Amino acid sequence: MTETAQSTEKDERVKEISGFRQALIRPELGGICGTIIVFVLFAIFAGNSGMFNAQGIMNWGTVSAQFMIIAVGACLLMIAGEFDLSVGSMIGFAGMMTAIFGVTLGWPMWIAILITFVICMAIGAINGVIVIRTGLPSFIVTLAFLFILRGFTIFIPQQLQNRTIIGGISEAAEGDWLAPVFGGKIMGWFFEMLANWGWIDTFTRGTREGQPVVDGLPMLIVWAIILIIAGHFLLTKTQFGNWIFASGGDAEAARNSGVPVNRVKILMFVATAFCATIFAMCQVFEFGSAAADRGLLKEFEAIIAVVIGGALLTGGYGSVLGAALGALIFGVVQQGLFFAGVESSLFRVFLGVILLLAVILNTYIRRMITGER
Amino acid sequence: MADKTPIIQMKNIQKHFGSVIALAGVSVDIFPGECHCLLGDNGAGKSTFIKTMSGVHKPTSGEIMFEGTPMNFADPRDAMTAGIATVHQHLAMIPLMSVSRNFFMGNEPIKKFGPINMFDHEYANRVTMEEMKKMGINLRGPDQAVGTLSGGERQTVAISRAVHFGAKVLILDEPTSALGVRQTSNVLATIDKVRKQGVGVVFITHNVRHAMAVGDRYTVLNRGKTLGTAERGGITPEELQDLMAGGQELASLEGSLGGTV
Amino acid sequence: MKKSVLGTVLAAAVAAVSFGAPAYADGERYVLVSHAPDSDSWWNTIRNALTLAGDQMGVEVEYRNPPTGDIADMARIIEQAAASGPDGIITTIADFDVLGGPISAAVDAGIDVIIMNSGTPDQARELGALMYVGQPEYDAGYAAGLRAAGDGVTSFLCVNHVISNPIVAERCAGFADGLGVELGNSMIDAGQDPAEIQNRVLAYLNANPDTDAVLTLGPTSADPTILALQQNGLAGDIYFGTFDLGENIVQGIRDGIIEWGIDQQPFLQAYLPVVVLTNYHRYGVLPGNNINSGPGFITADALEMVEMFAGEYR
Repeated sequence: MTETAQSTEKDERVKEISGFRQALIRPELGGICGTIIVFVLFAIFAGNSGMFNAQGIMNWGTVSAQFMIIAVGACLLMIAGEFDLSVGSMIGFAGMMTAIFGVTLGWPMWIAILITFVICMAIGAINGVIVIRTGLPSFIVTLAFLFILRGFTIFIPQQLQNRTIIGGISEAAEGDWLAPVFGGKIMGWFFEMLANWGWIDTFTRGTREGQPVVDGLPMLIVWAIILIIAGHFLLTKTQFGNWIFASGGDAEAARNSGVPVNRVKILMFVATAFCATIFAMCQVFEFGSAAADRGLLKEFEAIIAVVIGGALLTGGYGSVLGAALGALIFGVVQQGLFFAGVESSLFRVFLGVILLLAVILNTYIRRMITGER
Repeated sequence: MADKTPIIQMKNIQKHFGSVIALAGVSVDIFPGECHCLLGDNGAGKSTFIKTMSGVHKPTSGEIMFEGTPMNFADPRDAMTAGIATVHQHLAMIPLMSVSRNFFMGNEPIKKFGPINMFDHEYANRVTMEEMKKMGINLRGPDQAVGTLSGGERQTVAISRAVHFGAKVLILDEPTSALGVRQTSNVLATIDKVRKQGVGVVFITHNVRHAMAVGDRYTVLNRGKTLGTAERGGITPEELQDLMAGGQELASLEGSLGGTV
Repeated sequence: MKKSVLGTVLAAAVAAVSFGAPAYADGERYVLVSHAPDSDSWWNTIRNALTLAGDQMGVEVEYRNPPTGDIADMARIIEQAAASGPDGIITTIADFDVLGGPISAAVDAGIDVIIMNSGTPDQARELGALMYVGQPEYDAGYAAGLRAAGDGVTSFLCVNHVISNPIVAERCAGFADGLGVELGNSMIDAGQDPAEIQNRVLAYLNANPDTDAVLTLGPTSADPTILALQQNGLAGDIYFGTFDLGENIVQGIRDGIIEWGIDQQPFLQAYLPVVVLTNYHRYGVLPGNNINSGPGFITADALEMVEMFAGEYR
């Protein structure tokens, strides 16, 4: 507790904060600013490069949606005060499990999907239980699972099929009722309408001649939107949301106030695993194959998106909307640099610079809000 | 006060940690509406004692009577439900969270939305503003972060939170130890307000002057033993100081320091 | 503070543009999308050849790759390349299931595609690509296997550093068939890290002392394998063949550690598609067949040229 020597009465040393300024300083502010800056910059430097035609938008939209899905889970977990470094491996693992159940073992695809969800969420729970029981930093525990899961993702298919890529998932999922929930596209009529109006291009040859180049909204994006809304609602509007903040802010204080901190943290590990599995399912059913190297480094991309979005690495502070904006910034920058014609080897340089700027800006905003010193 | 029955009676409480005897038979009564000061030097067993009272530790032997019936608290939640609230020295509040979220942490007001337990922000904000006003803290808004409050204000928020949620006994673990003069007087004023509402306050401190300012009765712990309970007016600050230090050493020190301790 | 942050962002953006190729001039624009992670040095030759071809033909060329080698990310890059509306895309089919959709979508959107390096002529035709430029992997492995069998090899270790790329694994399968032995457990997943590869090769050779030959699938696995063989004293003794070239491989061939290197001549895989596409777009001429860029066996006899340009164009 810092010594600030302010009285309980109106203190002449605390400046009045205008309503406008107060409305402005939210955890998402950094994300909002960043999004505006990024879009303005790319509108200037890549405006006529195809980045903002239907295909281009769908491209960075899809990439951003990928980041969003895992960022929602990572964000909630980070606010609850923990990390999960096994997200990337979980993506590879989940995809591989579904492929093995659905293709190698030939089970109905919906059963394969549901069992994958159960297994992966159980692993998430194990992550959480180990962290809680041992008191070890989640960093270490989930780092172990990063290796363990990646190892199984390579080992299991090699044992069963002598290879590390399992294809044929699209064929196996033919006619399944659950697979399209992840790999399908919706609102095709809408894009056809746009194409008829000439708003988006159509294929000029091949079997799909005359059809719009963007033929629907991928379920990946739909899932991203659902998860963001659900995550934001959970965090800000529910009792459980208050527990998430409390668990991450100060687990001891939260426990003293009767918050079931352990349950909250374990459930957030499960939620992170759930998001990773959603990501994996969308990927597997879009591309029709599962491979041992899917999802490499995705855990860091999720954490980067969350941090760009204004969450505090040490927990207790952040916003799902901010994380979603962080994912959008990340996705737009990653894809936009290409549209702007930047040498691809410099991509990481820009990523690093943006990450640094975002963290500095967010730290500044957070200090304004919370009076941290 | 004597006509009332005590809310809590701690009878001959012993607590051993392995071979270490932290409490060697301590007896204390807490009455409603009194401020019972628990004094003692570092390591005297104050923390162990209040943790036993609030259900964190189970006594090795001895009996805890709560409102006349023997109680066995399994965990702090039990004690909390019964009406024993603890405000910890450092762990009172989460600075990154807003005042109203802190105020209702663990006791969130629920608004049902289908099967979902919604946090009733409207109610929480209104109550928080009311309660803070009662305690003399003017918030910019209920969403102001606790981190922007001063140390004394945070203690006050924590205390009024405990009282709002029906605490019958309020254990304050060194609430003034890290505060400046003005903030301390604010916290002491808060204690006075709370006491007048009929809540029994257990005020842990090693500052005799703070204890003398609000205390009704004083119990001194030394090396796991109680040296008796004194009524207000029945003991001088110097005597308390001596008791805390176990008598002699400080007496000799005091001479050289000119009675300033 | 805010101002300075904004300033930095703007400065970075300006720098970004000045670093970038002079985008969207009048000339044709071709994008090469590879499947190689940033760590794969072999693709440097491809980049150099691509740049050279771009300069010589007076067209704009860009090189893109998934930083971690994740093929799903590569699919997004192909979609993105298509969205930016180039005249042509040069890419690989590292995983037909994943890349088939994006590649055929690009073709259908009116972009000419040439498949290079990974993939097969059949797959290229199926996706509507103009042609395939590369080395049929199974055939190359088979040819190498026959050659090794002629030299008296009966058992081998295949050091696979890209276990996730099934087409590269065909090299091992072809080699095994050429030798007339079962592939079985001869192929190990070596990973990408040099120290790990070295240790795994040492471990395998310790556990299987009667191994006649080592086959590596590129510089990533060959370089550490050379070190491993020097360490356990088998260098020059064990029959060592490798796919692809690099500075250390060339040195190894000269030192007699490596019997032969199979050069798929990556230079041609990047250079020829640019030439073919440019002439196709300018004059409407197109070769009537796929182009085999390899295999070419490189032994100690023909090293001079290779040495001079190893790592750059060879």
